[in-house]
Amino acid sequence: MSRRLLTLIPLLALAACASNNAAITASDSQVHVRQMQTRVYDSLDKLDTLRSVLATLQDLGFVIDTADYEMATITATKLQDYQLRVTVTVKDRNYNQLAVRANARIDDQIIDDPATYQDFFTVLDKAIFLTRHDVD
Amino acid sequence: MRKPDVLLALLVIPGMLASCTTTQPDYFSPSQSSVTARKMQARVYPSVDESDVMSAAAAVLQDMGYSIDEVEARLGVISASKRADATNRLQAFGTLTLDSMKCALTFLMACSGNHYGVIDDVQDIRLTMVSMPQSDGSVAVRITIQRRIYDKRGRLSEQSTISDAAVYDMLFAKLSKAVFLEEQGI
Repeated sequence: MSRRLLTLIPLLALAACASNNAAITASDSQVHVRQMQTRVYDSLDKLDTLRSVLATLQDLGFVIDTADYEMATITATKLQDYQLRVTVTVKDRNYNQLAVRANARIDDQIIDDPATYQDFFTVLDKAIFLTRHDVD
Repeated sequence: MRKPDVLLALLVIPGMLASCTTTQPDYFSPSQSSVTARKMQARVYPSVDESDVMSAAAAVLQDMGYSIDEVEARLGVISASKRADATNRLQAFGTLTLDSMKCALTFLMACSGNHYGVIDDVQDIRLTMVSMPQSDGSVAVRITIQRRIYDKRGRLSEQSTISDAAVYDMLFAKLSKAVFLEEQGI
């Protein structure tokens, strides 16, 4: 094996490591991602909002993986031809509002299409309305 | 570049660009049948405590051999899973027949038994029960179920959400019985 080839091997190995490690963090703008994944609701009722998120996820055919009231976090999975995994968090904001954030993955891909998140929040809007008015 | 080449390039480049702009499917759009699904997956238990319903749900899951993976009492969530046999006798018979015929027709030249490996072997079932107290004192319970089936080679052969009404009917029949037993302290 020539010397040139031997010097190339560590470089190639390093390049391979770099490409794998890039997936651990994401390259998108944090502000843009947060804006796309977050919707603010005029409510302070964390419990009702989390229950509305559960109703939304079940309406969309998800099974709940984890749910925690204190951390206000719910993670759920939907199995079809693909595996769709979503985490929803609820946070206080501006003393009289709650921010709901959803981030989703489809198989090994991040969903970065704003329209997909809009679809989720459209269903959640309805569920929050129904929970507030106690309609089945 | 000759004229036909330029014309071809003008046609091909927009085509390539168009193929780059992929539209993502409607992952979060409820299907037309979401109302039907809700009816199939939900029941209302009148005048019961939510904690009684949750205890009954956990007991029913244990009755059926599930392991509880997640419980959040404040949100009324119980998630559970189990691994079960997924062998389908009809599928196994058809596959083995196919293998035998291939073997016979090729005069024993192609007796690989390849099809046997794709027979369904085991399934991982996961379900969630979510209870939701109503203003009239009743408690609504909704169940969603999914499964992954693996073949004899250990490869994923199917993953889906269960949409068979009979399965949900059977689960709710067991839950109703358990809620009654819970209320009676049995």
